[in-house]
Amino acid sequence: MIDSILLVDDEDLFHLVFEDACSLLDISLSLKSLNSSDEAAKLFKKWLTEDSSERPECVFVDLNIIGSSFDGIELIRKINFEYGNHVVIGIISSSNEPEEQAKAIQAGAQFWIIKSDDIEPRLEEFRNDYESYKNRTAPFKVYK
Amino acid sequence: MIVFDKNSQQQLIDLNKSKNIALEGNIAKVINTSDNGEFKEYIDYCITKDRDVRRRRLDMTKQVQSQNKELSDLNLENQRIMIELQHTLDSVEESKTQIEMQNKELIAWKEDNQRISEELHVAMSKSESARLEAENAKQAAMNDLDLLQKKSQTELIGTIVKVALGVIITVGIITTIMYMISLFMNKDTQIIGSTWSNMFGILLTNAFSIIGTIMGVKYASKENNS
Repeated sequence: MIDSILLVDDEDLFHLVFEDACSLLDISLSLKSLNSSDEAAKLFKKWLTEDSSERPECVFVDLNIIGSSFDGIELIRKINFEYGNHVVIGIISSSNEPEEQAKAIQAGAQFWIIKSDDIEPRLEEFRNDYESYKNRTAPFKVYK
Repeated sequence: MIVFDKNSQQQLIDLNKSKNIALEGNIAKVINTSDNGEFKEYIDYCITKDRDVRRRRLDMTKQVQSQNKELSDLNLENQRIMIELQHTLDSVEESKTQIEMQNKELIAWKEDNQRISEELHVAMSKSESARLEAENAKQAAMNDLDLLQKKSQTELIGTIVKVALGVIITVGIITTIMYMISLFMNKDTQIIGSTWSNMFGILLTNAFSIIGTIMGVKYASKENNS
């Protein structure tokens, strides 16, 4: 089970879906949801300079976060290269564009989960692979 | 793991039995239940109940999400149709403007045509007038020529008549003189007399013939002029 998860997504309804799915699949008991990448970046900056005990173990970032200064890939790049590379991080998006996935890999994303009505099987598969992501031994993977 | 004492465990169990109020959420998953079978049963019940609630909520949320997506797609489709309509409207407006311009050009062409037609009509009238004038002039010239010819003919006839009359009168006078001399000189007048008589008859006949011819020519000239 993942200790704590942070979800960054502008869609509030998906927060509920993700929370319920994580609970039903026993992926994690601790889940924090944010609507903007700016807010997430601010928190990571705080965790870098101040108390890092609240920092999540795994981060799911939406690709296009409406109302934010930068998109999910830029947030991943910031978390990996500016705020310390201490988390398992990847994209969760309805997009399946190889070009975007290549950019995500360059930014340091470890996985790409495609959003759909049936998200639970993909999260379950991710949960099974999680240890290898944590150990940095798994290659970049797209969960379709 | 969170550990509840026996009393708290019993209170939670009793609350569930009396008022059907149970623990909800992930908190139930972090409670230690190893020392109490009844409490473990209660916590399992809480977790199962929470799962059922979450499952129902997840299904409903997905349904709402799906409906939202459909609405969003419909909205996009509406926007696309609106854009197409706007393009069509713009195209119609452009066509309308072009038609208006063409109409203006056609009206201008029509006015030009009318003006040219009027000018042509005036030119044709002038041409017709000129033609009539030319015909009149031609007719006048022909009349003048005819008159001149007739005048020349009349003068010629007059001259001929005068010469002819002169010749007749001269021959008559000479013959008469010769006949009178023969009478006064008591010469034989049989031949000269018959000659004078024949000559005079012929001269009179010719004189009347000439006069008749002149009258006929004059009459014919009057008919042609009228």
